[in-house]
Amino acid sequence: MADALLEVNGLRKQFGGVVALSNGRFVLQPGTVHALCGGNGAGKSTFLTIVMGIQDRDGGVIRRNGKEVRFEKPSDALDAGISIIEQELSPVPAMSVAENIYLGREPAGFLGRIDFATMNKNAQALLDELHFDISAKSLMMDLTVAELQLVEIAKALSYDAEVIIMDEPTSALGEAEADQLFAAIERLKAAGKGIIYVSHRLSEIFRIADSYTVFRDGAFVGDGAIADVTRESLIQMIVGRPLTEEFIKENTPTDEVTLKVQDLNTRGWVRDISFEARRGEILAFYGLMGSGRSEVFERLFGMSPNEGGTISLFGQTVDFTSPKQAIDGGLAFVTEDRKGTGLVLSGDVRANICLAQLEQLSRGQAMQSRLEADAARKMIEMFGIKTASDRLEVSGLSGGNQQKVVLGRWFLTNPKVLLLDEPTRGVDVGAKREIYRIMSDFAAAGGTVIMISSETDEVLGMADRVVVLRDGRISGTLDRAQLSAETLVHLAA
Amino acid sequence: MTAQTDKQRDARAMATEFAQKYGILLALVLVCVILTFANEYFLTGRNIINVLRQTAINGILAIGMTFVILTRGIDLSVGSVVALAGVVSASLATTSTTAGIAGAPYPALLALFAGLIVGVAAGWVNGIIVSRYRVPAFVATLGMLSAARGLTLLYAGGKPVPALTDGYRYIGTGDILGVPMPVVIFAAVFFVALWVLSQSRFGRQVYAAGGNPHAARVSGINVNRVKLMVYVISGGLAGLAGMILAARTGSALTQAGIAYELDAIAAVVIGGTSLSGGVGKVTGTLIGALLIAVVNNGLDLMGVESYYQQVIKGGLIVAAVMLDQARHKQG
Amino acid sequence: MIKALKTMTAATAILAGTAAFAADTPKIGAAVYGLNAEFMQIWAAALENHPAVKEGKVEVTVFDGRYDALVQQEQFETMITQGYDAIIFVPIDIEAGATAVQLAADAGIPVFGSNTRVNSDLLTAYVGSDDVQSGYMEAKYVLDQIGCTGNVVIIEGPIGQSAQIQRLEGNQKALAECPDVKVVEQQTANWSRAEAQTLMENWLTAHPGEIAGIIGQNDEMALGAIEAVKAAGLNVSDFAIAGIDGVTDALLAVKAGDMASILQDGAAQAQGALDLAIKAVQPDYEPMSPIWEAYPDMPWNGGADAEYSVPWTPVTLDNVDALLELRQ
Repeated sequence: MADALLEVNGLRKQFGGVVALSNGRFVLQPGTVHALCGGNGAGKSTFLTIVMGIQDRDGGVIRRNGKEVRFEKPSDALDAGISIIEQELSPVPAMSVAENIYLGREPAGFLGRIDFATMNKNAQALLDELHFDISAKSLMMDLTVAELQLVEIAKALSYDAEVIIMDEPTSALGEAEADQLFAAIERLKAAGKGIIYVSHRLSEIFRIADSYTVFRDGAFVGDGAIADVTRESLIQMIVGRPLTEEFIKENTPTDEVTLKVQDLNTRGWVRDISFEARRGEILAFYGLMGSGRSEVFERLFGMSPNEGGTISLFGQTVDFTSPKQAIDGGLAFVTEDRKGTGLVLSGDVRANICLAQLEQLSRGQAMQSRLEADAARKMIEMFGIKTASDRLEVSGLSGGNQQKVVLGRWFLTNPKVLLLDEPTRGVDVGAKREIYRIMSDFAAAGGTVIMISSETDEVLGMADRVVVLRDGRISGTLDRAQLSAETLVHLAA
Repeated sequence: MTAQTDKQRDARAMATEFAQKYGILLALVLVCVILTFANEYFLTGRNIINVLRQTAINGILAIGMTFVILTRGIDLSVGSVVALAGVVSASLATTSTTAGIAGAPYPALLALFAGLIVGVAAGWVNGIIVSRYRVPAFVATLGMLSAARGLTLLYAGGKPVPALTDGYRYIGTGDILGVPMPVVIFAAVFFVALWVLSQSRFGRQVYAAGGNPHAARVSGINVNRVKLMVYVISGGLAGLAGMILAARTGSALTQAGIAYELDAIAAVVIGGTSLSGGVGKVTGTLIGALLIAVVNNGLDLMGVESYYQQVIKGGLIVAAVMLDQARHKQG
Repeated sequence: MIKALKTMTAATAILAGTAAFAADTPKIGAAVYGLNAEFMQIWAAALENHPAVKEGKVEVTVFDGRYDALVQQEQFETMITQGYDAIIFVPIDIEAGATAVQLAADAGIPVFGSNTRVNSDLLTAYVGSDDVQSGYMEAKYVLDQIGCTGNVVIIEGPIGQSAQIQRLEGNQKALAECPDVKVVEQQTANWSRAEAQTLMENWLTAHPGEIAGIIGQNDEMALGAIEAVKAAGLNVSDFAIAGIDGVTDALLAVKAGDMASILQDGAAQAQGALDLAIKAVQPDYEPMSPIWEAYPDMPWNGGADAEYSVPWTPVTLDNVDALLELRQ
């Protein structure tokens, strides 16, 4: 067998006294997609930063095409043909696509002047080769998130990389855009490149990966071919214990309508939205990014102006003009972007949990710290939030625990209707299950859950009914009996 | 997630907190110890009173600035508001027939109230421009820096307002049980601010609005109102500081307070408050303001040229922010 | 280019004819470094109150230089473009002002210095007061008060400014006459009352009971020192304190017996310069300002001298009320 593109053995890394990685092992063959799996804190990020030359290792061996290497800085790794598409994109918005791709290594022309013609030509050739329908001359700020992701991929390839690391590349993509990405991955595979694919989404892994490696608690657990493993056994390897069911759904919808929306318009382009949500029900909003899902939630929650339509809650017409009114009316809104709009990252767990209940937890202006502490403790216990103390900053928590802090904040307000925008994004498999449990229990206890999701599996597993949005309008409303992945994708695209 | 990593994280968080809380305090203690050995007069009752008195005005401004910076803002106008509130209130409390307004001198309390109103009004304008019209704080308060200075000169006709009544001057030169009034007022402002930021609902809202305005808004906090209020607080405290300054120097000068905003920002930054908002404590600001005053005082005592003081203050500011950055990287 | 411009101006004047010329009052511009402080306001007010201005014989515009040499230079350019007949110049900086004077000279406009010197031999004349002399006078007062023995401190202006340099020279000249006097501290407070107050508080701590005299290079700083002495619970009468300029607050302090001040007669500097400027435009002009009678030591001499030195007036209990009267 020929040398592997990348072979890593016994990689070790310690931070202070903390062992972040004790035995990192990974073998990448040419022309394959290799999934790197593991929960948050499994050591994946540490592994990747060492491979990328961002951090030094304490021990272990890395071989590239059979030759031992040691990268001291990121450019060493790039020179060795390893590039990464990071989870957090870092575009320069005011520059063109071509300028972003060749940032810092622009082709020089006469007297060191940047040769824009060559640069644009090369960039366009690269994009065309990948079948990305993007103009090299358009500005980054005019692109969608998905297109930015594709540019990032083109950039990675422009280094003539043989090993391409993709860290949660679909986290900001919708289904159709993800398909475009997967098509690109297939072409890279065919060209003999090796791809290290990191994702929490198991369905994706089973769709495009050829092999897998699982890390847990900073150590290698196992690897093999995807064809030889079942979804259940992979999950079990990742979380370290058997998981009976991926989804938990124990609620029974009633006929009692809690929220009724009629002919709602918002943001100028989301129009004629009508739907009902019932007591005990989990209603899903499905659609691509930019189909208007979040905009509907923001309107319901009083965050955007009234542009027509009626909203009634428990039979009463309401028109919330601020989130505060919505909260008082019994709504709760877990936003899509946990770090951007959900958490106060600089604040501690307690402050984040109490944030929507400051009035109830104070007397006049004076906060009642005992009430605050009680509230935080209650939510930490209720959701099993893993934190040593409620006075620690939330930024130190894992994605799943952070999401539970946000949920805790909203449960503290005693909501009747829970609006959840992508509640399990960036959350590991174990924590996902716990969030499903919370949703199910809430609905079973008589609450109403309205959930936005881009993951068909999740919608199929959790929803009682589904509203599908396309280009700011409802393209279909489906009962659980009518649900299938095909109909969802068909209605959304 | 294992118990071990939890414990590690806990330890790191504690170390971070320690550095954040005590790093700059240690620096202050160290400087004081060095100065105690370097100069026999440093650690005398009278000099300590001096240092506190010299801290008071910048300290009061810096406390207002802390509120603003916690919400990711900045208030560049405080120095000019110091002068404006100073001349307006002084014009009500002067015995001079030319500099005062008709009927002056009025009772000191009335003059003080007027100065406070001037400060609050300036802050309110800043706050409305920042929160409602979405003008960046830097720009809005830069405008006020110029406008308030101009208004000061217009109001006073460019001349100082001298001959202030004894009642008015009490807030600058009087004392309570030997503690100078500026220090008494500063202490009162500090303890109120400490309570507001750590114990009040408004304080929680300030931290949330600065830490993540979007999250605060979704959680039902009126972020615009919080922003408006912090500029009102900063303006009001600038007005207060301006009156103390006028009372201390015996007349309200149109040139008062020039570049005071920079010292106030310096104290806040040295005290560990992050310019990106949401992180910081008023105790840090107190220590920052004290550190600046102690360094100035110590170098004066030792007869070091004032130019060195500026260099050292510059070094302190940058060092404090570097410490802050190092902390973030490690965290 | 400049030559062409001059020719054009001349042509315009000729075209306008004699009748128009008589009706055309001379336009004189005054470029002052900044109007924020009291001294320059007194100066500017004196200019506006000059009899020739009041009677409409001349038109005067005051330009506020906003403490910026470049702003002043731009104002010169404006005045040249607008065809001013003469310029009175109070520069912010002794060196940077020279370029502006050069510009005016190239355009054929006479420039008269007032109050602050400028390093240029193109000035038609200068009306000011000798800072070395005032520095000597105030230091001499302090030294006489303390009997030519003991410790003094000097609070200086911004280091490098001409007033600071010259007043210090005067201070040192007086100090040289008292070899027993020791200068225990000497530092800048940048003409600022608040800065001087802090400085003095700290010095009083560092030298308890040792300081007998305080030489402030301007009144503001001397006033700050007085506040520091009061704040320290000490007796102002135990110190000999002097300042320069004669600002209103200082006059009040003199009246209260707290300090001595040397009045710099800004009004005389302004009016004297204006008389000279009008003379340059209208050769048969006779000076109208009362200052020439008030200061027999500074003769008019037909307006032909290159330098006029306005004498300093020590503020005393005898003249302070009269001076305060003028400020109303």
